[in-house]
Amino acid sequence: MLQPGNYSLVLSLQFLLLLFDLFVNSFSELLRDPPVNQLVLFILQDVGILFAAIVLFLMLFNTFVFQAGLVSLLCQRFQVTVILCAVYIALSISLHVWLMNLRWTGANRFVWSDGLLALFVLQRFVAVLYFYYYKRTALSMGDSRFYHDSLWLRKEFARVRG
Amino acid sequence: MGKKQVAPPRALPPMPSLKDEIPLSRSKKKKSKSNNVPDDLLQNAGFNTSENKDPLSPERRKKKKKRLSIDAETSLTQHNPALPVVQNGKDTDNQAAEEGTTRKPRRRTKKTRSVGQEFPNELGVEDEDIIPDGHTKIPEQNPAFLASSLTSQPVGKFFVEKNRRFQAADRSEIIKTTEQTDVFLDVKPTWTSMDVSLTAHHIFRMVGLFCCGFLAGYAVWNIVVVYVLAGSQLTNLPNLLQTYKILAYPSQCFLYFLLVLSTITAFDRIDLERTADALRGLLKLDPAALASFFYFVALILALSQQMTSDRINFYTPPTENGSLWQANTEEQILQPWIVINLVVALLVGLAWLFLSCRPDIDHTEEAMFIPEGEDYPDMEKGTKIQG
Repeated sequence: MLQPGNYSLVLSLQFLLLLFDLFVNSFSELLRDPPVNQLVLFILQDVGILFAAIVLFLMLFNTFVFQAGLVSLLCQRFQVTVILCAVYIALSISLHVWLMNLRWTGANRFVWSDGLLALFVLQRFVAVLYFYYYKRTALSMGDSRFYHDSLWLRKEFARVRG
Repeated sequence: MGKKQVAPPRALPPMPSLKDEIPLSRSKKKKSKSNNVPDDLLQNAGFNTSENKDPLSPERRKKKKKRLSIDAETSLTQHNPALPVVQNGKDTDNQAAEEGTTRKPRRRTKKTRSVGQEFPNELGVEDEDIIPDGHTKIPEQNPAFLASSLTSQPVGKFFVEKNRRFQAADRSEIIKTTEQTDVFLDVKPTWTSMDVSLTAHHIFRMVGLFCCGFLAGYAVWNIVVVYVLAGSQLTNLPNLLQTYKILAYPSQCFLYFLLVLSTITAFDRIDLERTADALRGLLKLDPAALASFFYFVALILALSQQMTSDRINFYTPPTENGSLWQANTEEQILQPWIVINLVVALLVGLAWLFLSCRPDIDHTEEAMFIPEGEDYPDMEKGTKIQG
């Protein structure tokens, strides 16, 4: 059974990671000079996204549904979040690499092209979806029904076995 | 040995003094179970030998001490009744002679370790007399049922195991006690993980509502500043660029920050995870769904202006070398930017109005925090939608 204290701690950590991610997404452009500042911020952001994904998976593994062996059920339930995590981290790394490649020699110059702008808009838009789905999943993990046996789970188990 | 025969026969101490001594020895034992009691005994022994006129040889004294220490190790309480004998001190070997007869009941008392049983046993009290003691212990454990235990009812007795002992208990009392434990077991912890989740959701909703209002005000302020700086019919664009170039990029970043928070709040209101319901809400012109759509459009429009904002940030007059701006291109670049900013301001203003006029709408809360007992209706629906 999930303890409220532990859950509060994990939820706070997840919210902190999301907040840091949002902060970097919003204000990293203002901290681009010298370029090493932005590089450190980007690295921290990518590590933060990875860490957030690991915490999410650990939360999923902790559920009774997962321990009962119904992994597919969990995957179905939270597939959007998992996919968004993967897409978002891929887009973030791509954008960061591209931006740092252009700005490493000189931060204070106009580097934008149509391709870069498209990637930028896509990454920032996916970030919003990622924040929303991740937050919702993190809050769903507090549902006590995931942590004990229930009629619904037995029905699903019977359906899978039958 | 001859002196031993002279010693007077063992005299039992008077009862009241014995009763008075029992709690004292008991409390001593509790305070220092392992070390003090053998020392006390040894001291008692020493006191006796010093008081005794009959001096013992060192070998005998050692034997006596040894015996006493062994006895103290095996049973601490069994020496207490013997203390008066030792204190009399005149018959040390009598004790040894009686050992064979007294050891058996002592071992029995060692197992139980109860004052109520040790002393009455030696004083010849029947075991049945202990039962009221057991009865007096029950109200201590359950003081709430003191009144019920006092009333006697003509029903059969139960023997319930309590503290590794079987004690007689009343039937009605047992029933009430079990009911009470059932009530205690039914009581759930007041603060659950669901409550934590719900509280976090409420806090975020509150922060989000504040962000929506702040964003609407900020966007309106931004567009007013732009129009004031640009002049009537956008005739003073170089002035706008010169003045606004410091603000352009920070304002763009801040706009994105507020837009993200507001969009997530709006998505929470319509519960975007249930895409079908959200689309249905949009078709029905549900205020929350409309607000979400407006925020979504505003976000895309604002993001698309990132390049223009950066261009404004790097503004230098076209006459200067290395300028990004060519002569007479300011209006071409700035006019769409101003219009888009105006549209963004209108959209976020309208979205805030829609969200504020119905602040009670929150489909996420309805879906996620339904009361327990229902058999995962939300999960089934969710899997159907996502599947």
